[in-house]
Amino acid sequence: MTVGGYRVRILRRATLPGWEAALFSVLALGVGLFLFGFVFLFAGASPMQAYQEIFRYAFFNANGIPLTMSRFIFLALSTYAFIVPFRAGEWNIGMTGQIYMGGLAAYAVVYAFGGKVSKDVPLNPALVLPLMVLAAALGGALMGGIAGYLKGRWDVNEIVVTMMLNFIAFWLVSHMIKDGGPFMNVGGRGEGFTLPTSLRAPTVLGMPFTILFVLVLAGALEFLFARTSLGYQIRAAGLSSKAARYAGMDTTRISLWVFLLGGGIAGLAAYHYFAAVPGVYKIPRNYGEFGDLAFFGIICGLIALGNPLATLPVALLFGGLSIGGRYAQGKLHLGFGVDYALMGVLMITLVAFQFFYRYRIVVEPLAPEPRPSGTPAPSDLASYGGE
Amino acid sequence: MTRRSKHTSFDPDAFWADIQPGEVLLSARGITKQYPGGVLANDRIDFEVRAQEVHAVLGENGAGKTTLMNILFGLIQPDQGAIYLRGQRVHFRSPQDAIRYGIGMVHQHRKLVPAHSVIENILLGHPRAQGILRLREAEEEVAALAETYGFRVDLRAKVWQLTEGEKQVVEILKALYRGAHILIMDEPTSALTPVETEKLLESIERMSEHKLGVVPFITHKLPVVLRISHRVTVLRSGRVAASLDTQDADEQRLAELMVGRPVLFDVQKPPAQEGEPVVQVEGVSARSDKGNLALDNVSFTVRSGQILGVAGVAGNGQHELAEVLAGLRGVEQGRILLNGQEITRAPVLARWQQGVGYTPAERTEVGSIGEFTLVENVAMNYFWDPDYNRHGVLDEAKLRELTEQILEEFRVAAPGPHVKAKTLSGGNLQKVIMGRVLSRRPRLLIANLPAQGLDIGATEFVQQKLLEARAEGAAVIFISEDLDEILMLSDVVAPMYEGRVVDLIPADQADKETIGAMIAGSYQQQEGTP
Repeated sequence: MTVGGYRVRILRRATLPGWEAALFSVLALGVGLFLFGFVFLFAGASPMQAYQEIFRYAFFNANGIPLTMSRFIFLALSTYAFIVPFRAGEWNIGMTGQIYMGGLAAYAVVYAFGGKVSKDVPLNPALVLPLMVLAAALGGALMGGIAGYLKGRWDVNEIVVTMMLNFIAFWLVSHMIKDGGPFMNVGGRGEGFTLPTSLRAPTVLGMPFTILFVLVLAGALEFLFARTSLGYQIRAAGLSSKAARYAGMDTTRISLWVFLLGGGIAGLAAYHYFAAVPGVYKIPRNYGEFGDLAFFGIICGLIALGNPLATLPVALLFGGLSIGGRYAQGKLHLGFGVDYALMGVLMITLVAFQFFYRYRIVVEPLAPEPRPSGTPAPSDLASYGGE
Repeated sequence: MTRRSKHTSFDPDAFWADIQPGEVLLSARGITKQYPGGVLANDRIDFEVRAQEVHAVLGENGAGKTTLMNILFGLIQPDQGAIYLRGQRVHFRSPQDAIRYGIGMVHQHRKLVPAHSVIENILLGHPRAQGILRLREAEEEVAALAETYGFRVDLRAKVWQLTEGEKQVVEILKALYRGAHILIMDEPTSALTPVETEKLLESIERMSEHKLGVVPFITHKLPVVLRISHRVTVLRSGRVAASLDTQDADEQRLAELMVGRPVLFDVQKPPAQEGEPVVQVEGVSARSDKGNLALDNVSFTVRSGQILGVAGVAGNGQHELAEVLAGLRGVEQGRILLNGQEITRAPVLARWQQGVGYTPAERTEVGSIGEFTLVENVAMNYFWDPDYNRHGVLDEAKLRELTEQILEEFRVAAPGPHVKAKTLSGGNLQKVIMGRVLSRRPRLLIANLPAQGLDIGATEFVQQKLLEARAEGAAVIFISEDLDEILMLSDVVAPMYEGRVVDLIPADQADKETIGAMIAGSYQQQEGTP
């Protein structure tokens, strides 16, 4: 393409330094916020004021920050649940179902210890809490493992399997908590029973201790992929399953492993939202909304390019936006769904800007065209040629 | 100078009407292309193709052939220089432009849809395939075209059922049916059997008689160049080293022009020092991916210090044989012993650990991972090795050191151990793969087409390395479609035809004609053996 004496070319990149990737993400964010400003304008709100409200509430408000952090933890864990199979070249679309199963498993432990009867049942948290966490992870892992096994052993498409399992898990939760299901609240309000007060999760700096899961996993997954033999095999299988098999890697087991691990992490996300976030402490009537939120883990994982450390800022940003957006929506009397629209627009610009991860745009002055030596005038078609 | 904008209507029939014999159809002037990183891939290249002429472009890997080819086909744009068709300046922004102007491309790695039929593939991307497909009409036209040039192919067959030679015919027909007047062919004979090669060469001659310009790009098959071309342009380091009439050239001269130094055509093979049997294959049968019997009751023994040369035309079971030995393909019958121990059902990793080394023919898809660095590629054979894997953590420093050793010993031209494998040329990548596998000092080395597609220098190097492995006492199973190479390196030749080893012939009793007949299937009929 030429523009006024300059040639604009799009060149494929050979490498991408980390700081450039970060720079493009920040640029994308700026562009996304700018574009969404028009939506605020059309809604009759000042973009500056709207963004101020959103960010102030999400990141600088005593009421907003805990909500943001809870969202962040949930999103980060959902993202990790997606990333681990993703690095092996497999798509976990089933965080939702894995979360439901993790939630059920955690509450099954409480149920088994007789915690359903009343929220005042004294149970020993040192015993029951770890079991709940473990059960949640196991429940998610088993749910993920189904897809991983089918994929690894019989090459059944994991996207379809995880997607379908989501529905099964969704209705299983309904069956358990509604209409006289075993986990139904004593009052029969169509939701799960309340967690006994004795089992409420401890906090760290005012946040649920599940923040530790996120931080530990960030380091552990980074280490797994960068340094360990298993992580190496996962990455190899993700890039070329043929090469992985050639090198003697057991791709069946790798499939199973990544889905067990991913599902297990989704289970932790379930424990976090259903049993550790203040104000919830049960499988609520609107559990489907929590499940749907897990899908944002896919986009966060793609934006972070499967990198466990890059996941942290991405999940924090979207956690904050979803909280701040909802708040600003109410405060400025904006239309329904503005918060999700904002997240959607930002995700699209972030993904669109990944174009620059792969290509460079080069602008250079046009070089004068060479004349062919001994070539007759170009219009002289017929006379050219022959000996 | 009027520039042809893409908006002006272009009538290919009028443009290409009345071609005179010997007329310059395409001329490229001063083509220059520099890649990011400073590599000058094409440096002021002048090149022309005449009607009724086969003009071969010859050059080693990295000489700039691929870049020139891609420029002529519109895949990349030159930094400087111009392309003229019948004297008229043209700009190709994309292959679609090039195709519209009458340039056809026959890719080395076929760009066909395996599940579709031949005719569907030929129509794919053709203007008349937009909207309603009139298959029958097109079929008749393509059949007539095939008739003209002497191609025989079943238009209703699915592409996956075809041999490499037949797939190539499909690509040629596709280009011709799109109205190609200049046919660029990338390594046209590289995947073909001797018989198919003969047929292709005849077709190329016939195409050139029909006022087409044919431009084969060739890396190392000098006899092919001499046989088919009228002119040959030799590229070296991005420049035209020489452009000469083929009748003034011979193999030695061309090789020297390519390499820039005198070339020896013989690798020295010391006498064999054969030892104990390393691998014994007993009555092994196995199936191909499509489910037909690819290996039929194959038996042989390879001793330490011995090279078994498996000769054959692609698709006669050699590939499956390599995979069966490496553990990548199941065995239906028979057994395999390694150092006297049965490994018939041993998994792949166990075989690596017991000293089997395999360098596959599919270097980019199987033998290496393009997105991985060279260190990570070397780790493919070390991630399980206790010396490099402590409690599940890989020892990066040791892996890097090993990689550096391999790069040095195998003279790999790479900026360093941390570049991605996909940035290496084919020859250098093969050196990395060979280096990695040989660094394990395998007891059994399976080398599937180790020198295929490599330039003269790299071929010599790879062959030398196989002989070194043999000298160190490895049993080597060397699979090749090039009979000269087989005869030069093997101690025993195993010609394969339709999944069977026709015979096991000691190298000193082997001659090219007999083996050629055996791999073509004609030997059995003469002798009446099963």
